[in-house]
Amino acid sequence: MSASEQVIQLEKTDPKFVEEIIEYGSKIFGREHMETITACFQCGTCSGSCPSGRRTAYRTRLVMRKALLGLKDEVLSSEELWYCTTCYTCYERCPRGVRTTDIIRVIRNIAAKSGRMKEQHKRVARLLIRFGHAVPITDEFKEIRKALGLSELPPTVHSYPEALDEVRKLIKIMKFDQMVGYQESG
Amino acid sequence: MAKKYAFFLGCIMPNRYPGVEASTRYLMTRYGIELLDMKGASCCPAPGVFGSFDLYTWIVIAARNLCIAESLGADIVTCCNGCYGSLQEANHLLKENKELREWVNEILKNIDKEFKGTIEVKHVIEVIEHDIGLNRIRSEIERDLSGLKVAAHYGCHFLKPREVRRHEHPERPTILDRIIETTNAISIDYRDKLMCCGAGGGVRAGSIDVSLDMTREKVQNMMRAGADCLTTPCVFCHLQFDRGQKEIEDRMGVKLGLPVVFITQLIMLALGASPHVLGLQYNIIPVRPLLRKIGL
Amino acid sequence: MDSDKIGVFICHCGSNIAGVIDIKRVLNEIARAPNVFVMDHTYLCSKEGLNELKRKIAEEKLSKVVIAACSPRLHERLFRRAAEEAGLNPFLVEFVNIREQCSWPHMYSPTAATNKAIALIKMGIEKARLLTPIQRRYARAKKRVLVIGGGVAGITAALSLASLGIEVYLVEKQPTLGGHMAMLDKLFPTLDCSICILAPLMSEVSEHPMIKVLTLSEVTSIKGRPGDFEVEILKRPRYVNEEKCVGCIEICSKTCPVEVPNEFDMGLRPRKAIYLPFPQAVPLLAVIDPDHCIGCRNCEDACERDAIDFNQTPERIRIHVGAIIVATGYETFDARLKSEYGYGRYPDVITSLELERLLSPSGPTRGRVVRLSNGKEPRRIVFIQCVGSRDESVGNPYCSRICCTASIKEAICIKERIPDAEVFILFQDIRTYGKGYEEFLLKAMRDFGIKIIRGRASSVTANENGDDLIVRAENTLTGEIMEINADLVVLSVGLVPPSDTEDLARMLGISQSSDGFLLERHPKLAPSETMIQGIYIAGTIQGPKDIQDTVAHSKSAALDAANFVLHEKIELDPYVPTYNPDLCKRCRLCEEACDWGALTFDKEKGVIINSSACLGCGACVAACPTGALDMPYFTNQQIIAQIHATLENKCEFPLIVAFLCNWCGYAAADFAGTTKIQYPTNIRPIRVMCTARVSPLMILEAFKAGADGVLVVGCHPQDCHYRTGFSKAERRISALKKYLENVGINPRRLKIASTSASEGERFANIVREFVEELKKLGPIGSELVMKSAG
Repeated sequence: MSASEQVIQLEKTDPKFVEEIIEYGSKIFGREHMETITACFQCGTCSGSCPSGRRTAYRTRLVMRKALLGLKDEVLSSEELWYCTTCYTCYERCPRGVRTTDIIRVIRNIAAKSGRMKEQHKRVARLLIRFGHAVPITDEFKEIRKALGLSELPPTVHSYPEALDEVRKLIKIMKFDQMVGYQESG
Repeated sequence: MAKKYAFFLGCIMPNRYPGVEASTRYLMTRYGIELLDMKGASCCPAPGVFGSFDLYTWIVIAARNLCIAESLGADIVTCCNGCYGSLQEANHLLKENKELREWVNEILKNIDKEFKGTIEVKHVIEVIEHDIGLNRIRSEIERDLSGLKVAAHYGCHFLKPREVRRHEHPERPTILDRIIETTNAISIDYRDKLMCCGAGGGVRAGSIDVSLDMTREKVQNMMRAGADCLTTPCVFCHLQFDRGQKEIEDRMGVKLGLPVVFITQLIMLALGASPHVLGLQYNIIPVRPLLRKIGL
Repeated sequence: MDSDKIGVFICHCGSNIAGVIDIKRVLNEIARAPNVFVMDHTYLCSKEGLNELKRKIAEEKLSKVVIAACSPRLHERLFRRAAEEAGLNPFLVEFVNIREQCSWPHMYSPTAATNKAIALIKMGIEKARLLTPIQRRYARAKKRVLVIGGGVAGITAALSLASLGIEVYLVEKQPTLGGHMAMLDKLFPTLDCSICILAPLMSEVSEHPMIKVLTLSEVTSIKGRPGDFEVEILKRPRYVNEEKCVGCIEICSKTCPVEVPNEFDMGLRPRKAIYLPFPQAVPLLAVIDPDHCIGCRNCEDACERDAIDFNQTPERIRIHVGAIIVATGYETFDARLKSEYGYGRYPDVITSLELERLLSPSGPTRGRVVRLSNGKEPRRIVFIQCVGSRDESVGNPYCSRICCTASIKEAICIKERIPDAEVFILFQDIRTYGKGYEEFLLKAMRDFGIKIIRGRASSVTANENGDDLIVRAENTLTGEIMEINADLVVLSVGLVPPSDTEDLARMLGISQSSDGFLLERHPKLAPSETMIQGIYIAGTIQGPKDIQDTVAHSKSAALDAANFVLHEKIELDPYVPTYNPDLCKRCRLCEEACDWGALTFDKEKGVIINSSACLGCGACVAACPTGALDMPYFTNQQIIAQIHATLENKCEFPLIVAFLCNWCGYAAADFAGTTKIQYPTNIRPIRVMCTARVSPLMILEAFKAGADGVLVVGCHPQDCHYRTGFSKAERRISALKKYLENVGINPRRLKIASTSASEGERFANIVREFVEELKKLGPIGSELVMKSAG
């Protein structure tokens, strides 16, 4: 291991990464909301509050720090990024009002867009496209529904194929199908 | 005039826990609340899952679901913190942000829909508290649950983020405990009561062991405090606890066995409904110890 | 007067004015006015600028001066003095605000801003032509100071003033002096005993011949003016005769059947309904707590000196003082608001102030540190820093400054008592900035083995019984999540302003900063002064401070107050109405309009004006239907001349004549300018001392002359500088609106609104909305056209 690998070299960082995060989320949450990331003073309230942090190497504080430092690749490619359950405990407790959970979701979006989505997640996403439900009905539960006096199929996309077409149309417009590797045939 | 709601089913309730759907329908019907079908509704889509993949797709699909309720002219009610989280947040964002709304509507044009911002999204807890009223339930209790120790699990997205949900302070909520105590059961205190169940944010799908380890910790805390069952107002947490305990046993060899009862099931039990009608027999973790405790 | 020559001086203020306003065009335009001399200058307020002003007054034989520059609220005194030095009466100077109310709020509309500046200057010129000399008014300050708050700040200020021979009234809400400092065990960084150094000062105050101590007392109202404030104090009964009681307390309190938590011990031990707050209380007198006394009168029978007196009643004390020092201290943050730390739910989670009582030898445990759950000695103690400080989730973004060093001190005190205890301090940043504080931290770490960990605690959890506490935090320097099993958790609570600060600030007419503490006049150069002359602030009411800084700040406040009350002359506003008995119809409406009793009526002489009681609001003048009363510098003629000057050449639509009160409306407009808030150029402000000065005559004149709208902006009713001035204006305007409707003018063209001096954005919104509304209504007179057409 050479000495340089132990050093953060500024030319290898992406100083625009934090602006990219702010920009990406602004359309959804508003710019002010996203800009709260710049107020982080690294107190660790988030990591200490994190139910995932207690059992994994995920440190919310470090995601914020690294994002602010422009360590883009490190942030986007880390396995830990996907351990946040979006429980919002850190978000509520943050003494600087950093909208952590929403910022994490945005960073995940950027990771997913750059092809770093987990296979398991793609599978769930494909279920949504195929059935309109991320957790679709099975024969077993059709029977249980009937036994409980409910309609065999719920009155959702499951009962209305034309509604499913609508959902798929929107997903195609958003190119979400391409992102998760969905193919018409199944 | 009878109150009407557009009943947003989501995925897990109709497709994995129909007993929760049945119980909720019974409860609402009993108190004269009409539940309208949201024909053709899809997955909400899950806020921490699809919100983590592509927030733009997330809000477009959520907006489509909101449009269905708008056309019914009724506020939405849901039994899942995830669905509530998605739809209530999307509704809030679209109402607040004109540019976002215009962008979403431009896309919805392709399916002849338009988000207008005419409805509200409610959690079943709100309907129980405000439309039914705890006093009304209390006065009609038929089955004595006194002595039953219930561990309340609020779930995350019902209360948080506070600035969007605008309910009780998420560090000191009381509503679920108050509902439990309306049935004469005891809502017990336990360590880390407000902790997450572990299912959300795509962690269940993507990192099942991390997800289940949280569930294990939480259920163990409940059991240490002497819980007879756990109760939640979120069907996704419900699944994580019920199905999850089996998975914990299978994957980690830790046997837990704490019965899981949805809040509308608990209320219907107290109001005298048969556990079979409520679909409790379909739970993975047997509810028999709980039923014995209340003399069934 | 035709022989008058008006000098108009236009300041560039560097580029602040000249960068927006086309000065050349202004000069050309103004030069066309008759009998006017006009010149410009880069910085008129500079020494050179002022000399130029003086020189031109002499050379050009100017009889009146118009200064077109920044807000008169900034440099009015300066230019008046310059005019005076040049031999002019200082009130023959008129000010035109082309910076705060023109170039700054219209930065992006230079053409319209220039037009507006020209209009404003013309208004000034026409007013100046009608100015007459006014005599300056002076008063002497009362050589007496009120100090509110009897903690270490108030005590220090009182002693400093008394040593200069100034009489002091020291008012304290509690039954004893001492404040928070009396509750502390030891002090950092010297570890000396708090009460041991405070108690001698408390006795000195109570025995000082120049200091009158009023305990159980609160200030209920403040009237009057700097130099002569009329203060009303409510003294609650002690139910104990102060002459007879000797503070022996045991005899009376032993017989009392009531037990309630002792506030002084943070409720950690009970007291009786008749009690002494603590052994060193000053005055050393028993007090009966009327909220808990059941009236059994056992104490009355027990007291051998016959000191109990249930017949005492609340007393209202009125005093006149020259100056006021506010030293009301702080409250500690309510730790219940940080629910994740479990305070109020788990007995072994306590606040730092509660710990101080446990540490104190006179405290509930006589100095033993114990767990409140079981009375046992704790083995592992965790301090959590920044509870309620640097925390936007509870609305307190500021640092409370004392908590780091206070926790270090408390940790050392614990280790001194329980040497084998493990003590952790979870901090965000250790801020030991004072003299000897960093060394004190070193001592804690090196000599006492106190473990300091960088990480803000995220939560304190407990099991179902509320014990077996676990403190959770990330050790941010190692990135590890820590779970510390603690026997005792101490929440190092921040300082917040006392809950009644807003009321007090309102009563005094001073401002709070955004953190809720009282605002100093200048953060560096005038830290003890407020925006109001004669009112000073001492200690933590200005912001969190340790005792060292509190003492220094209090002495600085005392010096400011002494300087003020020992001053020979205080200049007063010279605006006292004039009276022309020949015009008076003896209707006596003026008498009714005056809140101050400054106008009395005499059958022979008519209205008699008591100038020392008059505050100069002008409400009486506006009420006078005949013009018998008039207000110098704001005469009916002068204001009407301003109105005509701006409407003669109506250069934009809609055109709004705006009457702004000096204290809030005008100040808010200045504030909008200072903070560069942009709003439309359509308003032409006319400064009046109070909106009550605005008479129906002026408003109607404005409409007659072609104003599209008239705006009146004053203070929020509760903040009115003249108590009821704004309410009077509101009543007058609502009556006038009805009249407007009758004569066919849309009453929506007349608008009254209120702002506070710091609500620049609100002011801008009022203007924006009114301009929009008037655009919809069309130019003045359109409704008459519509009517005739319809």
